Formats: sequence, structure tokens, C-alpha cells
Amino acid sequence: MATSETSRAAPGADHHPEIDWAAAERSPEFRELISKKRSFVIPATVFFLAWYFGFIILAGYAPDFMGREFLTDGLTVGYALALSQFVMTWVLGAWYLRKADREFDPLAERAAQVALRRGNGERSAS
Amino acid sequence: MTVFASVNGTALAVFGVIVAVTLVISWFASKRVNTATDFWAAGRGLTGPQNGFAIAGDYMSAASFLGIAGLIYLFGFDGFLYSVGFLVAFLTVLFLLAERMRNAGKFTIADVLSYRLKQEPARAAAALGTLTVVAFYLIAQMVGAGVLIEGLVDIDFSLAVILTGVFMVSYIVLGGMLATSWVQIIKAFLLITAAVVMTIWVLAKVSWNPIDLFTDARAKSADGEAYLKPGLFLSSPLDTVSLGLGLVLGTAGLPHILMRFFTVPNAKAARSSVMWAMVLIGAFYIMTTALGFGARAILGQGGEEAAGATGNGAVPLLADELGGEFFQAIIAGVAFATILAVVAGLVISASGAVAHDVWSNIVRRGQDSESEEVWVAKIAALAIGAIAIAIAILGGQDLNVSFMVGLAFAVAASANFPALLLALTWRRFNTTGAITGVLFGVISSVALVIISPTVWPGPNSEGGLFSWYDLANPGIISIPLGFIGCWLGTVLSKERVEERTFDELYVRSETGLGAEAGTGLTLTGRGADGARTQDDALVGSGR
Repeated sequence: MATSETSRAAPGADHHPEIDWAAAERSPEFRELISKKRSFVIPATVFFLAWYFGFIILAGYAPDFMGREFLTDGLTVGYALALSQFVMTWVLGAWYLRKADREFDPLAERAAQVALRRGNGERSAS
Repeated sequence: MTVFASVNGTALAVFGVIVAVTLVISWFASKRVNTATDFWAAGRGLTGPQNGFAIAGDYMSAASFLGIAGLIYLFGFDGFLYSVGFLVAFLTVLFLLAERMRNAGKFTIADVLSYRLKQEPARAAAALGTLTVVAFYLIAQMVGAGVLIEGLVDIDFSLAVILTGVFMVSYIVLGGMLATSWVQIIKAFLLITAAVVMTIWVLAKVSWNPIDLFTDARAKSADGEAYLKPGLFLSSPLDTVSLGLGLVLGTAGLPHILMRFFTVPNAKAARSSVMWAMVLIGAFYIMTTALGFGARAILGQGGEEAAGATGNGAVPLLADELGGEFFQAIIAGVAFATILAVVAGLVISASGAVAHDVWSNIVRRGQDSESEEVWVAKIAALAIGAIAIAIAILGGQDLNVSFMVGLAFAVAASANFPALLLALTWRRFNTTGAITGVLFGVISSVALVIISPTVWPGPNSEGGLFSWYDLANPGIISIPLGFIGCWLGTVLSKERVEERTFDELYVRSETGLGAEAGTGLTLTGRGADGARTQDDALVGSGR
């Protein structure tokens, strides 16, 4: 790491040319990480945007429906749907953290190790 | 404001305690901050929970504490729409950016863009996006702080703005991101505690039945049934959708929030900090129900004039009604701490754009030393503070604060978010695309707000430049334009993309391989992590 008095090399010097990044990107380990991650993140993102914009669009275009009371006097459909957004945010967040800890992190670690070993191997061979 | 006229002494004491505590922390931090990584990223030594509190403290501004509760007090349900949007936005941050930013970035959002694009133009574009967002957001907060302090302790608006500016700059000049983070952590703690106390107090007044909040509020509103429905504040449906879009994508483009992800040691801590922030921020926004509807149920119609046109006085009035002048002074102090923490976060991100991006990497082309960069950062923070003070005083207290915050979110969602997301995920994306995207986003959102009925032809006008354009929130047009700008610039330019650097950024952002390491800095000393080797750093900074 650069000490505070040495000047740094050229801009963007944080690159690591000793690693073969193109090979790392094509490695089966990395592809598995990406496909596992996508199969969670894409549906989850579509779901939360749909649930959220469903709520916003109803608030904009169906104020009477949102103002309808149910279960008890004073509790509106709109407020209940608003609370459901809070629950959704927490549940999806916690779910993602669980998946990331148990599934994505080990895959990422493996993909990184493979790329690092390959990089170091080439360096010592040359 | 007459709301606060008689609380001077106590309020002054509460303000004094808050300023003293935060300055002591900054002084502590100043003895430990040495390297650029310490200054910009608190040595990447914050834990997930610590950064979660800091994100909450960085994010929830006076617009959240006083503004949303005030909107609910005045307009009922519509105010709560803001609470929902401000929270759900963190799913965008968590799923799309938080971990990637931590793995790919260094100090500023420009670092991520310029990692695979051409240094100077990409940095300049990102710095433009950052500075535009910060300019609107910072001035809104400074004016809000001035109005609040002027009302509280009867000092002149200009002096109040100057004092706020001086404190916010002191934190940064003394202790950089380390001091800023701890100011934000303390503020989040104070804000949540204040909200919990007020919520319990309000619930006690309605015999512990939350539903009574709604029925009592409706009974005491001149709008009756309509008070619990959408439409009183946001009367145009398309505008409501446009606002919702700006809120849910804007947070993921706020430079001072994204910068917080560089302060943790690894991606795991980055995502856990978002979860902590979502719990804290969500809990707070749910409590705006008790603050806003509670203010209506308890204060009734009577407080409307004192609460002001934006309703900002509703929470202080409610505090007075609940616990008298002493409690009101405490709540005012919490509001003051809230503003200080947010403006400090804004100034350090703007100072990053000036010192790290423009000075160090564009002007000096990376040939300066780290200590020079930190010096320039402190000078930049002083200059940004001075400019913000000047504009806030010249613009004066009549400046429409909530529209400026809305504009900041619109620019963040339209200019910063598309360029960042595409740089991290779209192989073909190139420098021209980043520049056109940021320019499309900045220009369209600012121009659309200028010609909107709320701004054109003068303050608080009801005109609008064109009769057919009546949106107050530009997001639904400017956000697609930001993405279209990125795409058009990319496909129209002949610029060749460097496949290799995309591979590196992509693998690095997803796995943490090659990510920037920390320096082991904490507020109380330097941990064992400080002596990290280059090999450890390569395997992903503390993985």
C-alpha cells in the first residue's frame, strides 16, 4: 500500500494485470455465481418494483379504492398496502442476506480463488 | 416562527451539548486519520451495524423528521407515500449497487465509472452528477437548518446558516469520514430514540389503539373522509407515479449514500449495513404515522397556521403539547443533529468529487501525494461550505426546500444511477455513453423542474411554461432519458470498449477479488488489520 508521501502511479493504477480477468470471467465457477445470483436478484427486483408501483399507481389512479375501509373503521386499504411495502422490504432484504451468506459468498470465494491460482501460476511459469 | 419563542435557554443548552459531543468526536478522529483511505473511507474499518446506523443518519434528513410528519399532518395519507418510497428505495441499493460499489470502488462513485472507462471524461461526468445532486440537497438542508435555528433560539437566519456551515465543515476538516460517520451514528440513535418516545407518548394519548389515530385524525380534519385517502397533496396521478419512480431509484444515485459503502471492510459488511439501515429507517418511517396522524389527532385543526405551509412545525408543536417546552427543546436539538449529520455527509461527498476526482485524478493526473489530496479535500470542504452558506443566505428562507430535495433525487435517479448501473453490468457501455447519459439526466431533470408549474414563472407559482406540461416531479421523463442517453452515446460512438477492463471490473465487483483493502482504523485506535499484505488484499480485502 502506498504510504502517504509517495506519489501514486498513473491514474487507474488499481488494476491487477497479473490476473487473467477474461479467463476468470469465463470460468465455470464465476458463471455459476452469476447465474445463481441472477436467478434470485432478477425475480426479486421485478417483484418488488411491481408490488411498489402497483401501490403507487393505485394511490394515483384509484384513490377511492385506497380510501376504502376494511376489518375495522379507520383502517384503509391504502394504509394496509403501505405497511405491506415495509414488510416486503424487510423480508426480501433478510432473504437476500441469507442467500448471500450461504450460497453466493462461497461461490464468489471459489471463483476468486480459481482466478487467483491461475494468475499466480502463469506469473511463476513465465 | 412563534412556535418556539419561549424555549431559548433549554434549546440553546441542548444544541450546545450536541455540538460539543460531535466536536470532541471529531477531535478524537483528527488524531487518527492519516492516509487518504482514512480520510475518505474511515479506513474501511466500520462494522456492518455501525455503517447501517451511519447510513440511516446520512439519509434521514430534516425533510424526513419534520417534513414527512408535517405533510401527513396537513394532507393525511399522501405524506405517508414519501415514507414508503424512501424505504423501498433501499432494495434497489441492496440488490443492484451496495456490494458492487464496495468491491469495485475506492473513494467516490467516479472511481467505479473510470475503472473501465476513460479516466478524465468519465470522472468529469461523475463529478458533475455528484456536485449537481449535492448542490440542491445541501442548500435545501442549510435553509432548513437556518429556519429551524432562527425559530428556536431567536438568532438571525443568516447567522444560523453560518453556524451550521461552520460545524459541518469542522467535522470534515478535523476528522474526515471517520468523524462524519460517528456524527451520523449518534444522530441516528438520537432520531430513532426521539421518534420512539414520541410514538409511545402519542399512543398513550389514544388509549394504545393505533386505529384510533386514524379515526381521531379524520374527525379533526376539515377534509374528513378524504384525509385518509390519497389525493389531497398529490392531486395528479401521473405526478404521483413520477414521484414514486424518482424516490425508488434516486437513493441508488445519491453520492453521499453510495460513498458510505466504501467505509466497510468487505461486501458482506456492505450488505449487512443496508439491512441494518432498512430496519432503522423502516422503523422510523412507520413511526411517522404516529407523528403525523398523531399530530392531527392531538393538535387538531388549531396547529395548522403555526405549523406553516409545509407543516414543518407540526412535530415541534406536538412535542410541546406532549411534554412542554423542555421536551420541545430536546426534539428541536434532535432535528438540529439530524441536519448536521446529513450536511456533513453531503459535503464530504462533494469534496471527494472536487479533490479526489477533479484535482487529484484530472488536474494532477494521479501524480500528487496522498497528503496533498487530503489537504486539497479540506480546502475543498471549506470552499463548498462557504458557497453553500452564501447561496442559502442569498436564496433566503423563502426558498422552496421540499422541491429542491425532490430535484436532488430526480438528478440522482436520472444521471448517476443509469451510468453506474450500466458501467457495472453492460459490457458494451463506453465513455461517450456515460457522458451523454449523465448530461441527458442532469439537463432534462433540471430543465423539466424549471418549466414545471411549481417553479415557472416565479416562486410558488401556479403557471408553468407550457400548458400541456404540468408535472412537478420530472422522474418519469428524465429517468428514461438518462438511460436513453447512456444507450445512444454508446451505440452512436465509434469508441472501442476495452473488453479486458470490463472483465476485470465485472469479476472484481461480483467476487471482491482485487478490492481495496482497509487500514484497520477505528475511532479508538488502529486494529491488527492494519498490517494487511498485498496478497490478502487481492483475495478480497478481508474476505
